[in-house]
Amino acid sequence: MSNIKLGLLVFWPTFWTGFPIKLAFGLLLLAAHMHPWEGEGLFLLLLLSIPIDIWALGLCARTVFIDRLKVDPQPGIGANLWLRWAVFSAMALPLIKIIVSGATEMAKSVTTNMVHAIKESIYPTLPVAEQITLELVMWGSVATGVLILCLLAWLYGLGWLTQPFVKNAKSLEGTEEERASFWDGLRIPADQPLLLTAFTGAGVVLVFVFWALLPSTTPHPHEEYEFISKGPKEEKVEPKKVLKEAEKVLAKAELVVKKLEEEKSGESKDSKDQKGQEPAAKEMQPEKKK
Amino acid sequence: MQQDSQPGNQPNPFEKIVEFVDERVGLKTIQAKMLNEPIPGGSRWAYAFGSVLLFIFILQVVTGILLMFYYVPSTDHAYDSTQYIIHEVDYGWFLLSYHFWGSSAMVVMVFAHMSQVFLWGAYKKPRELIWLVGLALFGIVMGFGFTGYLLPWDQRAYWATVVGVEIMDKTPIVGDFMARFLKGGPTPGQMTLSRFFVIHVMVLPAALAGLAGLHIFLFRKAGPAGPFRGTPEELKAKTDYFFPRQIWKDIVAMATVFLIICSLAFIEPVVLLQQATPDPGDYHPEPEWYFLFLFQLLRLKMFGGELGQFLGAIAIPGAFMAFLAALPFIDTNPERNLFKRPVALIGWIVIMVFILVFTLSAIINREFLH
Repeated sequence: MSNIKLGLLVFWPTFWTGFPIKLAFGLLLLAAHMHPWEGEGLFLLLLLSIPIDIWALGLCARTVFIDRLKVDPQPGIGANLWLRWAVFSAMALPLIKIIVSGATEMAKSVTTNMVHAIKESIYPTLPVAEQITLELVMWGSVATGVLILCLLAWLYGLGWLTQPFVKNAKSLEGTEEERASFWDGLRIPADQPLLLTAFTGAGVVLVFVFWALLPSTTPHPHEEYEFISKGPKEEKVEPKKVLKEAEKVLAKAELVVKKLEEEKSGESKDSKDQKGQEPAAKEMQPEKKK
Repeated sequence: MQQDSQPGNQPNPFEKIVEFVDERVGLKTIQAKMLNEPIPGGSRWAYAFGSVLLFIFILQVVTGILLMFYYVPSTDHAYDSTQYIIHEVDYGWFLLSYHFWGSSAMVVMVFAHMSQVFLWGAYKKPRELIWLVGLALFGIVMGFGFTGYLLPWDQRAYWATVVGVEIMDKTPIVGDFMARFLKGGPTPGQMTLSRFFVIHVMVLPAALAGLAGLHIFLFRKAGPAGPFRGTPEELKAKTDYFFPRQIWKDIVAMATVFLIICSLAFIEPVVLLQQATPDPGDYHPEPEWYFLFLFQLLRLKMFGGELGQFLGAIAIPGAFMAFLAALPFIDTNPERNLFKRPVALIGWIVIMVFILVFTLSAIINREFLH
C-alpha cells in the first residue's frame, strides 16, 4: 500500500474518532467562559487531546492493519505512532501554513495585477461582482492546488512513519469473517453492561457539569440592547420648581374660583329677573339640575 | 409451568409492563422490525445523515416550542419579545442560538444526505419515490429557513424577507399571488408576520412530519441500497443488522452534530440588529448564508434587468429542481458505481464548486458595499 493511502486510511478515522470527545471538552470549556482556541483553554484542550489521540490512533491503526492489511500490529502501536506523528506534524504543519499563506498572497497579488491589466486594456467596465468571482477563482485555484499538494506530502510522511509498524506486524491467516470476529473479540469488552453503564454515567456527569456551567443569561455583551438599559424613566424632582408650578396652579385655580363666583352672583341677579322662566329651564336640563 | 413456579424466574414489574403493552400493541414485533433491518454490505458512517436529520428536526421542535412560550408574533412585540428571550429568560439566549444554528445544520445535513444518495446512485429504481419525497422535504427545510428568518423582526429579518418575496414575485402565473398572499399587504407588516409565523410553526412542521414518515416508510419498503461496489456475495457476507452497529454510528453522529450546534451557539450567539423599519438605512439586505450563492449570482451583469432576474432567480433554479425530480426517470442505467458514472461525479463537483465560489464571492462583496 502506498504511503499516502496508508497515511489517509489511518489519519481520517483517527480524526473523527477523537473529534466528538474533544468537542465535548471544548464545549465544557466554552460553558466555563474559556476559549478552546487561545490561552489556557487551548492549553487544556491540547493536554486532554493527548490521551484521546493515543487511544483513537491505536484503535484506528489496528482496525486498518487487521481489516485492510491482514496483519496484527505489535501492542502499544497507539503511543508509538502518536509520538512519531506528533513530532513530524509539529514541524510539517507550521511549514505547510507558511507555504500555503505565501502562495495565497502571491497568487492574490498576481491576480489583482492581471485583473487590473484586463480592466485597463480589454474590459474597462468590468463590474464588481464579476471581478470578485474572477479574482476568487484565479487565486483560489492556485491556493487550493498548493494546499492539496502540501496535504498529500504530509499524508505521505504519516504513511512513511507507519510503514515500519506494518513490516513488524505478524500476518493473520483465515477468512474475512474470521479476521472480523478476531478483531471484535479484541475490542468488544467481555462485560458489555458494565461498559454501557460507565459510558452512560460519564455522559450524565458531563450533562450535569454542562448545565451547572451554562450561564443562565447571555454571557455576551450586547451594547445595542435597550431593554435593560432603558428601564423605567427616572424623573429628577426639583422642590423649588415643583413649588413654583404648584403656586401657578393655585393662582390659576383662585382666578377660576373668583370668576365662577362672579358668574354665580351675576346669575342670581338674572334669576331674580327671569323667575318666570325657571320651570321651563328645569324641564330642558333635568340631569344637570340633579 | 415448572419454571414459572420458581421465584427466580418470576417476571419483574418492568417485564410485566412490557408484556402488558406487547400483548396490546405488538411492541416486540415493532422492535424487531425497527432494529433487525438488514444492511447490505454492513453499517457505514455515510448512512447516518438521514438519522441525524430526524434528530435535528426533533430538537428544533423542542427548542421551537420552548421559544414560543415567550415569543409574541406581532410587529409591536416580536422584536422586544425576542430581545427578552435573549437577555431576560433563563438560558433563553442558548435556546434561541441553538434553534438558529440548528436550522443551518438542517440545511447542511439535507445537502449531505442528498449528495450521498446521488453519489451512491441510491435514487435509481426501485427508489424513485424516496428521492421525490426527499426533494419535497428539501423544499420544506428551505421553507423553514425562509419563514423563520422574519420572526425576530429586526432589519436583517425584514429586508431578507423583502428580497425573498420580490424574487418569488418574478415566478410566472403564481408568483404575484404567492407574493401577495405571503405579504398580506403592499409592504411587510403584521399580516406578513402572522402568516410567516403560522406557516413556520404549524404548516411546515406538519408537512415535514408527514412527508418524513412517508420517506421512512418508502425506505423501509425498498430497503437500503447498500454500497455501490462489491459483488452480491461480498455484500451478503458483510451484511449487518441496523442494531447495534448502525445505531451506534447514528448515535455518535447525532452527538457530534449536537455538540457542534451547541458550540456554534456559544461562539456566535444570536444578536439582533435594529428593529425592522421600512427604511434600510445603512443596512445592506442579504439573505441567510445558504441562499448567498443565488443572491451573488443575481448581482452578475448577465442577470441584470427584468429578464435576467427572472432567469437567475426563477428559471435556472426551477429548471435545476425539475431536473433533480426527473433524474431517476432520465438516468435509467442500473449502474450505481460512482467511478463508472463520470458525468454524475463531475456534475456534482461542478455544482459544489459553483456554490462555494459564489458564496465566498458574496462574502467578499460585503467589503465593496461598505
